[in-house]
Amino acid sequence: MDFLPILSTLRRHRTAATLVVLEIALTCAIVSNAVFLIRERLARMDTPSGVVEEELVRVRLIGIGQTADAAALTAQDLVALRAIPGVKSVASTNQVPFGNSGWNSSVSSIPDDVSGSTTASLYMGTQDLLETWGVRLIAGRDFTPEEYVDADAKDAKVSSAIVTRALAERLFPGQSPLGRTLYLGSDPETIVGVIDELARPNDRNGPESAAYSMVLPLSISYTTGGTYLIRVEPGRGGEVLAAVDATLTKVAANRIFTHLESLTEVRDSYFRKDRSMAYLLIGVSLALLIITALGIVGLASFWVQQRTRQIGIRRALGASRGDILRYFLLENFILATMGIVVGMGLAYALNHWLMDAYAVPRLPATVLPIGAVALWLLGQLAVLAPALRAARISPAIATRSV
Amino acid sequence: MLTMKNVTKVFRTEMVETHALRELTLEVKSGEFVAVTGPSGSGKTTFLNIAGLLDDFTGGEYRLDGVEVRQLGDRARSKLRNEKIGFVFQSFNLIPDLNLFDNVDVPLRYRGFTRGERRQRIERALERVGLASRIRHFPAELSGGQQQRVAIARAIAGDPKLLLADEPTGNLDSQMAREVMQLLEELNAGGTVVVIVTHDPEIAARAQRNVHIVDGVASHLDRGPALVSPALRTA
Ligand SMILES: Nc1ncnc2c1ncn2[C@@H]1O[C@H](COP(=O)(O)OP(=O)(O)OP(=O)(O)O)[C@@H](O)[C@H]1O
Ligand SMILES: [Mg+2]
Repeated sequence: MDFLPILSTLRRHRTAATLVVLEIALTCAIVSNAVFLIRERLARMDTPSGVVEEELVRVRLIGIGQTADAAALTAQDLVALRAIPGVKSVASTNQVPFGNSGWNSSVSSIPDDVSGSTTASLYMGTQDLLETWGVRLIAGRDFTPEEYVDADAKDAKVSSAIVTRALAERLFPGQSPLGRTLYLGSDPETIVGVIDELARPNDRNGPESAAYSMVLPLSISYTTGGTYLIRVEPGRGGEVLAAVDATLTKVAANRIFTHLESLTEVRDSYFRKDRSMAYLLIGVSLALLIITALGIVGLASFWVQQRTRQIGIRRALGASRGDILRYFLLENFILATMGIVVGMGLAYALNHWLMDAYAVPRLPATVLPIGAVALWLLGQLAVLAPALRAARISPAIATRSV
Repeated sequence: MLTMKNVTKVFRTEMVETHALRELTLEVKSGEFVAVTGPSGSGKTTFLNIAGLLDDFTGGEYRLDGVEVRQLGDRARSKLRNEKIGFVFQSFNLIPDLNLFDNVDVPLRYRGFTRGERRQRIERALERVGLASRIRHFPAELSGGQQQRVAIARAIAGDPKLLLADEPTGNLDSQMAREVMQLLEELNAGGTVVVIVTHDPEIAARAQRNVHIVDGVASHLDRGPALVSPALRTA
């Protein structure tokens, strides 16, 4: 087609052509990295917790002054909470997934392992904890009532543990973990069950260990754990939360209740930074795309106007409206392609720098074709209106004296 | 070759209606060399635009080489223009961004010739006008007369049956004008129909036949039988 003549025309309008190619290239580089980072953030926000978040609400509570028998009071609290209409199950616990602060321990398959150990999150709670979470037990069993030990008791020691699939795979790769012993420092625990998924309260120990959690049958009182986890019938969370304060105050006064919220709210605030970063990147990307599109519209409009006579001449020499339209679409396609080629190079360079400076992962190869197609489409869309205007120029322009 | 019967052209703007052609009737036969003359604003260019399918007309009938033009859509019209007509304009109208080769190539590309055939035709046409050695030059590097010769090369490269020229010598000095006229006469001798709009009586005198347009009506003829005009008849 008109490929070579268009190239030679572009060579003679080098400055404008270079500028628009650079604009497309920079947009390509920045937007493909941004889209990649957005995808990362969104994927992170999708991390499963393993628990039935939409049915769970939590209450954090602090006692004022000394409480003689915290364990007994906790038991009374749980009974009272369970009696609230809409409540299915209640447990006292030390932390919740994505709750931000939590308890950790180093774990290994051998005792006192200093080099090969990993960290895992330590969940503990009263007997109904697994039931309240709604976690999926994929192997072994839940704790028996006899296994539970009062966490506040002197020298409280348990001998069994339930671990997540990810932790089991880390400790005993390719083997059944059931019946095996893991060590918290030098303390041995026998693995009696494996749950599918239970996210840590935070991933400050790195993304690879974010799913390493274990549960110990340590019956924990509210003074130690500070959290009551309540599983409600679907849609009744608000109603239950509204009744919590009065219910617990009736059991015992002198306690402060904070963080009365559903686990979906807990998740929302945990991922707030990711969400706002994703929105920011989306906004910046859209702005860049719009600016680039406007730049293309501007340059194409200018060229159409500047070449009005030339277009009339081409029409006089036999170009149909379709030929003129195709000319401008092809010209834009050539510019966009040059921009994309340069832009992909820049994108990988930028990614490389981000990898070094901010430990961002490598840009996947799929970004390349997706970004190219998106920018081609953007260019063709942007140039369409000026190109249609060009196609409407009358060939009679050619005989008009200048 | 070209038959117009009662062709009218009205330019309508918001304010005024301009009757650029009023029932123009005209025939140009194959082999002819016709000069169209007339005062400024009389409708010569309008006639040429319609004859060359550059503009549509308001009323009447126009047949080009046996084809009724009125019904044709843009594609068919563009194709007909591309195949049958070569244009030479007063202001040369070369494309400044393209070298001579690519300029002459423009109509041939739309014609869909193969690369080899195009090259051959371009070289032959530029040789014909004596500019084969400047094939990679750009229009701005040529004199006015040379540019017009390139325009003629571009007009004839596709071997059109009809050559339309609007004041082709208007921007040239008399020496260059004579050269261009000589080229056109040679082409006519080779069988191409030439219709040339001109103000220059010397040039008009060299044509086989003159058509004089006044106020949108072909109203005078020299040395030829082909002019009929209702306005003239009733006058
Ligand atoms: N696009 C247009 N819109 C409105 N009026 C037009 C247009 N083109 C031509 N006219 C009018 O039509 C009439 C004929 O114009 P045309 O250009 O055909 O004259 P001409 O004989 O070629 O004149 P000249 O010798 O000066 O080139 C003039 O009155 C002109 O103003
Ligand atoms: Mg004129």
